[in-house]
Amino acid sequence: MASRPTVTILGADGAATGNTHTIPAVFLSPIRPDIVQQVHTGMAKNKRQPYSVSEKAGHQTSAESWGTGRAVARIPRVSGGGTHRAGQAAFGNMCRGGRMFAPTKTWRKWHVKINQGQKRFATASALAASAVPPLLLARGHQINTVPEVPLVVDSAAFDGAAYAKTAAALGLLKSVGAGPDVEKVKGSKKLRAGKGKLRGRRYRQRRGPLVVYDPEVDGKELVKGFRNVPGVETCSVQALNLLQLAPGGHLGRFIIWTSSAFKSLDSIYGTTTTPSDLKKDFLLPSNIVSQADLTRLINSSEIQSVLRAPKGEKNTKRGAVQKKNPLRNKQVLLRLNPYAAQFQKEKIGQQKIDEGKPAKVSAAFKEILQEL
Amino acid sequence: MSLPNVSSDLVWEVVRNQNAFLVKSKLSGGVQFSRDPLNLTNLHSRKYAGFVNDKAVGVIPTEKGVKVISKKSSATNQPAKALINTTYNKSGRKTYKSVANLAAKSGYRADLRKAAVARASAIKKSQRPVKETPEKKLRGKKAAAAASE
Repeated sequence: MASRPTVTILGADGAATGNTHTIPAVFLSPIRPDIVQQVHTGMAKNKRQPYSVSEKAGHQTSAESWGTGRAVARIPRVSGGGTHRAGQAAFGNMCRGGRMFAPTKTWRKWHVKINQGQKRFATASALAASAVPPLLLARGHQINTVPEVPLVVDSAAFDGAAYAKTAAALGLLKSVGAGPDVEKVKGSKKLRAGKGKLRGRRYRQRRGPLVVYDPEVDGKELVKGFRNVPGVETCSVQALNLLQLAPGGHLGRFIIWTSSAFKSLDSIYGTTTTPSDLKKDFLLPSNIVSQADLTRLINSSEIQSVLRAPKGEKNTKRGAVQKKNPLRNKQVLLRLNPYAAQFQKEKIGQQKIDEGKPAKVSAAFKEILQEL
Repeated sequence: MSLPNVSSDLVWEVVRNQNAFLVKSKLSGGVQFSRDPLNLTNLHSRKYAGFVNDKAVGVIPTEKGVKVISKKSSATNQPAKALINTTYNKSGRKTYKSVANLAAKSGYRADLRKAAVARASAIKKSQRPVKETPEKKLRGKKAAAAASE
């Protein structure tokens, strides 16, 4: 990790300012979809509201079993008379008007504890994936007009609450090439299928870019500017959340960094050898394989120099891989029966046809034949 | 700029099960297609997954010709600069020659030559006017009956 690549810092107009910043070490973390998915599944469960059916449901009757001897099932039956309900079975999950099987309880285990090390690993991994354009495309982000990934915008542009208004914020998104992604979100708004419509989740839409800022330098006014742009979310660099970095557990969220937020990633996450300033006892995870490109590994001189030379010829002859029919395939027939060539050439097979009809037998011959 | 922790091999392993271009179907034994514009066969496979590979070729129809998209491997992290568009409005054979050269010359992606030409050819064929099928001639008894009338 001697030389990390640099990232261009863009101005508010989308052109390079000329400043660059070495990419923070967190972007070199291992990309591990398995860990990210597992942590995401756990974290997504931690915002749930408890629900359950009523404790009394199905039990608000004084039903008693009739016991044996009445030629009916021993299920509790509603007592009394004078109404259709009397004598009907009650309580059981198989009964009309009975309680459900294993009624849900509010004290279900709603939340999941996730180890802090795993959460930090997953966050680092999701951040690393956000710098890989193919993963952004695979998540569905429209990034064909984005000048560079990771996309860093100079913090000077955010001075004096410049983006406190939505029109200004939208202008910034368009000038840095995030316009198509916002447009995609706008067009994706659909009515949700099912009951969720009645429960405060009426529409569903795609996620757009995530704007990550440093509240100490950039201020918090930009939150108000961006919050009404569809699909765009904002997040402080100190409080990055896996649910935003990898929505649905899928890696590769399109992130727009302010330059101060981008720079502070160095101190927030540290490197694989220098611990983080803000997270206690945290070193970035190292890659197990330092070079992920298999083709480069295979073609490297270190590997090529210790390989044996290939045996045999360039094109190996394949043996009897497929049976050929000698009656249809002439070459295979000749291999089996070299006489076939001569047989065919001299038309030995057709000779009898050319001779015409067989000669008639003589009368004397017939006579002898009949005598016998 | 390319980071040592990422490669197209790794990206493929991450995206092969689910990605935005993938179209999964339960028909035909679970055939998997791709909507990627850089995919020459529209099949979901490592070789043709253009958005994953550093070098890739895509062929797209235009008004009366084909547009070939190729990827600049030096601009992997600059999506705005990464794609090169070339449009051909020539005759069929000249188009195929150009497409083949673009895909395979100077060691770009020789393995995609055949697929690229096939796709360009299919597009060209679709742009030609459709010939009307000639009316069926009557034969035998029917022909005689028609002639006598």
